[in-house]
Amino acid sequence: MDIIPQLIVNSIIAGAIYTMVALGFNLIYGTVKFFDLGYGAIAAVGGYSVFYFYKILNLDLSLSILLGILISGLVGYIVYRLVYAPLRKRKSSGMVLIVAALGVMTALQAVVAILFTSQFQTLSQNAGTERVFSILGGVITQTQLIILILGLVIMAIIGLVFKFTLFGKAVKAVGDDEEVSKIVGIDTVKIIGWVFFIGSAIAGLAGILVGFDTGIEPTMGLSLLLKGVIAAIIGGIGNVYGGVLGAFLLGFIENFGIWKISGEWKDAIAFGVLIIFLLWRPQGILKR
Amino acid sequence: MEYLIHIAILISIYAILGLSLNLIVGYTGLLSITQAAFYGIGAYVTAILLTATGMNFFISVMLGVIITGVLSLAIGFVLSKFKDDYYALGSFGFNVIIYSIFLNWQSLTRGPLGIPGIPRPSMFGFTFSENIWFLVLSAAIALIIFGICEYITHSSFGRVLKAIREDEGAIRVFGYHTIWYKLSIFVIGAMMASVAGALFASYITFIDPSTFTLTESIFILAIIILGGLANNKGAMLGAFCLILLPEVLRFVGFPDDIAAQMRQVTYGLILILLMLYRPQGLLGEYKL
Repeated sequence: MDIIPQLIVNSIIAGAIYTMVALGFNLIYGTVKFFDLGYGAIAAVGGYSVFYFYKILNLDLSLSILLGILISGLVGYIVYRLVYAPLRKRKSSGMVLIVAALGVMTALQAVVAILFTSQFQTLSQNAGTERVFSILGGVITQTQLIILILGLVIMAIIGLVFKFTLFGKAVKAVGDDEEVSKIVGIDTVKIIGWVFFIGSAIAGLAGILVGFDTGIEPTMGLSLLLKGVIAAIIGGIGNVYGGVLGAFLLGFIENFGIWKISGEWKDAIAFGVLIIFLLWRPQGILKR
Repeated sequence: MEYLIHIAILISIYAILGLSLNLIVGYTGLLSITQAAFYGIGAYVTAILLTATGMNFFISVMLGVIITGVLSLAIGFVLSKFKDDYYALGSFGFNVIIYSIFLNWQSLTRGPLGIPGIPRPSMFGFTFSENIWFLVLSAAIALIIFGICEYITHSSFGRVLKAIREDEGAIRVFGYHTIWYKLSIFVIGAMMASVAGALFASYITFIDPSTFTLTESIFILAIIILGGLANNKGAMLGAFCLILLPEVLRFVGFPDDIAAQMRQVTYGLILILLMLYRPQGLLGEYKL
């Protein structure tokens, strides 16, 4: 059997998921300049919200997804207001914020596990009978195709918003210099709040899509997040298109890396790539 | 009684881990989140040597310390290129990589099956098979390590470490090669963690990779942050509180599955609340 086309397709699918996580992460990092690790748990929040509405309450699919995205965004916003905003106001160091974010991640994950048990669940009703398409000689499911398209659409929207709207410019300004933006009359707390809401909503969406593609478990966020962070860093942190480039690059390296060895090594490969980049090209492929 | 001894043994093992990480995070200001990896290396070296060759426990501890030392020297060297947030992220990476090795190098570690039947330590024909004697051994080792930490932190070497934490540039001006100081303390901390791993392996008599994940590293970090950074007694106090706390939760009457998750919630909340209201912890002398 010819394996290379399927490897390429798998790489693209992985890249599409990482793209989404990296986009949300980059948005937040580019504005507030710290590694928001709690962001990972938000993906699980999104996935489980849909699980609750769609599978337990049997609500309409699109309504459930919409609610899931809103809840993820809201949780991200609340965490920002309760934890990060006071810390940032006090000018805490990046390390304090990382430790607080680790706390957020641990606590959120565990809360999800208490509510829904730590069992692996799948969101799709028709697992295994999904429509499949074949591209380039490889197989891709409908969900995976949606992931790919959504990833690119979100990238385009973020790129356009940054370029053409007042909001995008304000976000950029806050990212460049928070003090000065405050002086020229930008409501930084409000802008950063929105950034957290949007970034977390994207994370939630990523969690939901992964849930439809493979499945959800409370600890899913950490590995998703780490992949997103790695993609963002190797692509050029804070750069919208760099994150996308990094995500696809990571997808390819991971999937081709496990060509001859067991798939369990994926995480190790991803971090190996991260460390190599941090050592030799810490600014990533595209500079901000 | 047996139960109290069990708790006391765990406290002494985690006290060692806390002390070892405190040297790195508290005294030197390097936010390393990879201590569980060294803990795991110590545990695996001892487990493999004891089950495969029937070697004396104390010799295997020595070998484990040496192997951990060499590996941590290489890891510390790579990490020494990074600063602050990136240091934390890079150390994350090494934890994931080493965990993958435990999980995937099946011919050596038996992968997810773990290594059962690890014998208890013995010395001059006396075996520490009863828990009370094992407690004496582990408490003695914890005290020795506490002594070493006190010695290190009160020596001139320790003062240089604190100076690096406060202002690395300034101490470099005085002609100190800070990289060697940072590397040595990283290796010393890793070696101590390896001793704790050996004790753990021979106490529980079974190890598998799931003990040595990122979560465990975060837990060790929580110990020293709660107890107080840059205070050796604080590290022991932190271990005492955080090991005891979930046992209290157990008595409240949660079912086992929920109790485990409640524990995670509490750790997470402790980290968040400490960062918000008391970033130096209970006895700490240094804020992140």
